[in-house]
Amino acid sequence: MIKQGYALILLLAMLLAGPAYAELIIEITGGSEAALPIAVVPFGSEGVAAAEDVSAIIRNDLGRSGRFAPLPQQDLISMPHQKSEINFKDWRLLRSEGLLVGKVSSVDGQTYQVQFQLFDVYKAQQLVGKRYQVPAASLRHVAHQISDQIYQALTGEQGVFSTRLAFVSVLKNAGGSRRYALQVSDADGANPRTVLQSKQPILSPSWSPEGERLSYVSFENGRAEIFTQAMRSGKRTSVASFKGINSAPSWSPDGKKLSMTLSKGGNAEIYVMDIATKALSRVTHSSQAIDTEAVWMPNSKALVFTSDRGGRPQIYKVPVSGGRAERLTFEGHYNASPDISPDGRYLAMVHGQNGKFYIAVQDLKSGAVQILSEAGQGESPSFAPNGRLILYATEQNGKGILAAVSVDGSFHQRLGDTGIDVREPAWSPIRK
Amino acid sequence: MNKSWLENLIAGSYALALHIIVVLLLFLGVDSESTTVTVPAAIDIVQATVMGEQQVLDDIAQRKERFEEKKVEEDARLAALEKKVAADKATLEQEALERENEKLRAEKDKQRLVELEQQKKAAEKQQQEVDAKRKLEVEQQRIAEAEKAAELRQKKIEQEKQRKVEQKRQAAEEKKAAELKQKKQDAEKNRKAEEAKRLKAEKERQVAEEKKRIALEKQRLADEDKRKREEANRLLQDSLAVEEREREESRITGVVNQHMGMIRQRIKRYWSEPTNAGQGLQCTLRVSLLPNGDVKKVSIVKSSGNAIFDRSAESAVYKAAPWPQPRDPKAAAALRDFQFIFRPK
Repeated sequence: MIKQGYALILLLAMLLAGPAYAELIIEITGGSEAALPIAVVPFGSEGVAAAEDVSAIIRNDLGRSGRFAPLPQQDLISMPHQKSEINFKDWRLLRSEGLLVGKVSSVDGQTYQVQFQLFDVYKAQQLVGKRYQVPAASLRHVAHQISDQIYQALTGEQGVFSTRLAFVSVLKNAGGSRRYALQVSDADGANPRTVLQSKQPILSPSWSPEGERLSYVSFENGRAEIFTQAMRSGKRTSVASFKGINSAPSWSPDGKKLSMTLSKGGNAEIYVMDIATKALSRVTHSSQAIDTEAVWMPNSKALVFTSDRGGRPQIYKVPVSGGRAERLTFEGHYNASPDISPDGRYLAMVHGQNGKFYIAVQDLKSGAVQILSEAGQGESPSFAPNGRLILYATEQNGKGILAAVSVDGSFHQRLGDTGIDVREPAWSPIRK
Repeated sequence: MNKSWLENLIAGSYALALHIIVVLLLFLGVDSESTTVTVPAAIDIVQATVMGEQQVLDDIAQRKERFEEKKVEEDARLAALEKKVAADKATLEQEALERENEKLRAEKDKQRLVELEQQKKAAEKQQQEVDAKRKLEVEQQRIAEAEKAAELRQKKIEQEKQRKVEQKRQAAEEKKAAELKQKKQDAEKNRKAEEAKRLKAEKERQVAEEKKRIALEKQRLADEDKRKREEANRLLQDSLAVEEREREESRITGVVNQHMGMIRQRIKRYWSEPTNAGQGLQCTLRVSLLPNGDVKKVSIVKSSGNAIFDRSAESAVYKAAPWPQPRDPKAAAALRDFQFIFRPK
């Protein structure tokens, strides 16, 4: 009786002692997909003020990436510009993933020194920090580079803030006639430069893999004609002006070939041209159907294109060497304008479902389709070179605008809303 | 003395010879009367008679004189005419010599007598001396004996004394031994008495102790009984306490579990999971909280191998602070240190 009593007490003691010694283990699978909060403190300014607000550009970049949620400026508890001025304890309360401080200084207003430091406020450690010396005209570019550094430091991925966008602007003259301009802007849509103007339509700009050349379709000569144009020199070359349709050029990943749609044989088929020799090889043989809008798989072995060979436009994949095409899309009544993510995993497309059109992404592994945009006039989806965003054109108030959506559909933005009617966007590769 | 002795001896020899002649004469006289034999004798047979010394001497002198007269007569007859002068002269010289001799002899005798007397006296003296010596010796002997006796006596006295001393010593020793024995006996007696006393005391003590022990045992039994009753009571209380603790324990467990759910929700909200995180990443953190819910320490127990993934998890723990604490202190204590395992979706 007594022994049993003691045993019971002992057991109890062990039970009571148990929780104090056994460490609880809490397993977490998957966190928030919400953007990372980041504190971007306006950079200090010394000497001649800069024309560009570097820290504001960075903050916008980060915000537009969809990966960051810069803290509202009024929430910033202090305005440090270097580590010695930072009270990390305070910044922890803001729960930011990072704290960016920096300085822009210039003696003459011509050359600027820009420095920045990104801190982990919890560990009070600098994650990245650099100093640049640039002419005033490059301040915006430096800002984008800093954004890339921050993006890389906090996500482990390459930033795409220093990349460019190509698109076609449609300008209406006072007389009602239209003017077309092939333009290239910063990745944020700002700073657009016109690389080609025409009274005739310009379509389907496509970046060469190194980002130095563009190919596009221009009707300047009264019919569809494919050109290549070097960005720096501005030198243009007509590469395809066959009878019939010459459209939808796309650079091979090695930059030596262009895929295109030609109807010189009577029917719109997919061809591959060796740029140097202009030699053509026909890839599709659909006879009746239209095969167009071909893009290269990252491995260069296959092309993904749109075809109505099944009755309605759907997306197919065919080996570059030719052969049987494999249908990729089965959902919806309409799937067209394919683009393949840089990792080859996702297929972005214009997806028609129940009479409405969306920008959608299909996981090529699982075949799952996710609609990313609201129903509308989405067209010409183009992957960002890091694969995180899809740039596309849509309409707002009867005018074409550029928009971007994250691959998971969680983040939407409009780009460079300048009031100009823009369409046919293409996101440049990361400049090597 | 020697001369004297020799002279004595010669004198003695003469005397003896005379005596013998006398004796013989006597003997012969007896016989001559019976038988008379005429023999040419050189010596006249003499009728010897025993005389005194003086008589002897006188006789001798007489005889001598007669003999001489005869001889002279014979001589004077033999050598009467020629030798009468020489003879007379020789006789005269002889006679003078004889007289001288006689004189010498008398002197000698006298001397001899003196010597005898002296001898006698010497002998007497000697005897006396001997006697005296003997007496002295006897006396000395006596004295010696007396001394010896005295010595013996003394010795005896000494011995006696010593014996007495010895006796006394023995007596003393005996006395001492006796005393010691007595003392020992006394001590033994005392000891025995003490022992007896001690034994008695011991026994008394034992008895007392036994009594005490019995009393204590009684008390103990009473206490035991009481304790058992209390134990039983306590066990009853304990089982109630056990139930209470079990209830409390399960309550705490419930609070902890509930709170773990809250913690999970909270960390998921604050964890900005890297979207490009590869499958199979896993980061284990150990988290220590302060009582107010602030983060005391975050350490990586096991890295995912991806620095950004690890940092996102660490930052999440800080971002989620202050961690809500259960009001129950035990539950709060249980949730003060724990581990997080972060895995991508």
